[in-house]
Amino acid sequence: MTLRLNLDRLYDGAAYAAAAMMVLTLVMVVLGMVDRYITINFRGTDMYAGYCMASAGFLALAHTLKRGEHIRVTLLVNMLKGNAKRGLEIWCLIAAVFLSALFAFYSIKLAYQSWDFHDISTGNDATPLWIPQIGMAVGTLVLLIAFIDELVMELRGQRVAASSDEMLHNE
Amino acid sequence: MNDIVITLLLVGSLFLILGSGVWIGLTLSGVAWIGMQLFSSRSAGEAMAVTVWGSSSSWTLTALPLFIWMGEILFRTKLSESMFKGLAPWVNWLPGRLLHTNVIGCTIFAAVSGSSAATCATIGKMTLPELSKRGYPQDLIIGSLAGAGTLGLLIPPSIIMIVYGVTAEVSISKLFVAGVLPGLILASLFSGYIVVWSLMHPEKIPPTLEKYTFWQKLYKSRHLIPVIALIGAVLGSIYAGIATATEAAAVGVVGSFVLSAVQGSLTLPVFKESLMGATRLYCMIALILAGAAFLTLSMGYIGLPRHLAEFVSSLGLSPFALILVLTVFYAILGCFLDGISMVVLTMGVLLPTVQAAGIDLIWFGIFVVIVVEMAQITPPVGFNLFVLQGMTKKEITYIARVTLPFFFLMVGMVLLLWFVPQIATYLPQQMG
Repeated sequence: MTLRLNLDRLYDGAAYAAAAMMVLTLVMVVLGMVDRYITINFRGTDMYAGYCMASAGFLALAHTLKRGEHIRVTLLVNMLKGNAKRGLEIWCLIAAVFLSALFAFYSIKLAYQSWDFHDISTGNDATPLWIPQIGMAVGTLVLLIAFIDELVMELRGQRVAASSDEMLHNE
Repeated sequence: MNDIVITLLLVGSLFLILGSGVWIGLTLSGVAWIGMQLFSSRSAGEAMAVTVWGSSSSWTLTALPLFIWMGEILFRTKLSESMFKGLAPWVNWLPGRLLHTNVIGCTIFAAVSGSSAATCATIGKMTLPELSKRGYPQDLIIGSLAGAGTLGLLIPPSIIMIVYGVTAEVSISKLFVAGVLPGLILASLFSGYIVVWSLMHPEKIPPTLEKYTFWQKLYKSRHLIPVIALIGAVLGSIYAGIATATEAAAVGVVGSFVLSAVQGSLTLPVFKESLMGATRLYCMIALILAGAAFLTLSMGYIGLPRHLAEFVSSLGLSPFALILVLTVFYAILGCFLDGISMVVLTMGVLLPTVQAAGIDLIWFGIFVVIVVEMAQITPPVGFNLFVLQGMTKKEITYIARVTLPFFFLMVGMVLLLWFVPQIATYLPQQMG
């Protein structure tokens, strides 16, 4: 039970970090505009906005999954019943665990290599790239954990597939 | 020859995995990964990480989360209510009367929202109960709402245009400006249809109860001032060239907060909900975009876009025939996929073909947006249909049926756009 609680805290914590990054994206863009009128000697707001946006996207991955808002084609899944449906869900989750593992592994590797080779942004911000890439590494790792979590719950027959009305005002 | 077999295998497995229900963004990167493994000696995983990082941290894309956030804030205001109050007195003289609040309301909300389903939901929240209460025909209330809701995509700001602009490397500001005229024309087509239908069935339109003088109407419309001001600030700054699309989006977010605060609907829970809602929605799209960026890279290694362009030009199709074929292709694809996936999935492959046919990419962007709009209202997968199913509790087949006339109006719009391409290209050319 405590594991469940800690996992949920992990997803929510990452999501709050993502939301904070979203606010920072806005702040960076606004600063960039202000800079045109009053020089505030704060260079590279364009690049920072991009980094914040990327982190916002990656860090929210698991939370969005848990809320059932990542899009998938559910025509077939919804048509099936019983064991056939369960089998298909298990296949989807195994595929997702494999793909998110790839995603997480190479994202972590990318951040590590940027740190190892002292990769620096080509923009005028000259940020060491591993710093913003941490968001991607952490976010994809949490997504992997969330997919394993879903798979284990499905195998145990405890998974309640999330469905969300929110999704409806997406496009 | 061998290449073609493997390509077909890849495309086949793409649709198989998608159809089985694996999350779309992951499927795209999975198929891309297989393709890279087969066709290139480069490490597929490392290529994936670099490509995904590059595309998801690019400055052009920052307009996307901000416009999404703006929409999420406005969705939670009393905008729909004030819009209905402000518009109703003006449309009473038209045949079809209050039915036009659907079309005009959606048109105005589309100019602050980048999403079709959100436009549909926001306007419908007010017009569905109000129009049903007054006895307007259900078929037309629901049909016109589903149809006009799609204007959220064509009238800037538009999520799908940003996605297209980033994928096709076209200026998002120009796309936005290009969407204005086609959007207004399509809205007039919708309203025109309502007028014609009402003239043919005058007995089905309930009489008007409210009578206002001109000044009373003007006074009623004061509710519209904030939203018009917001539209002016966002679109005006883009058109005047003062702000980039991203900066205009930031102006939009700040402006929406102001508007929401003035209306008294900006509370801490509303702020939190809008922020979390926007973060999730952006995240959902970001995962698809990440997968698509990698898929485009992988397809490039395979040479699929080039092969396709060569194949299509060897057919000797006229550009018009190409557009017709693409319209049918997208209409079918739109039955099963959402608009964003449709655009990112096809653009990486189709772009060289379109360029080889000598089609202007801004024009093509508008074309794509209209066919994606059609996808929003085709069953079994159509977001506007889902929204209205949730709101009216009616069968999706019924909603699709009453929306069908509006689908055909969009087909008409595609033809009009082909024969008078200036509808889309004139305004962006004026921007210089």
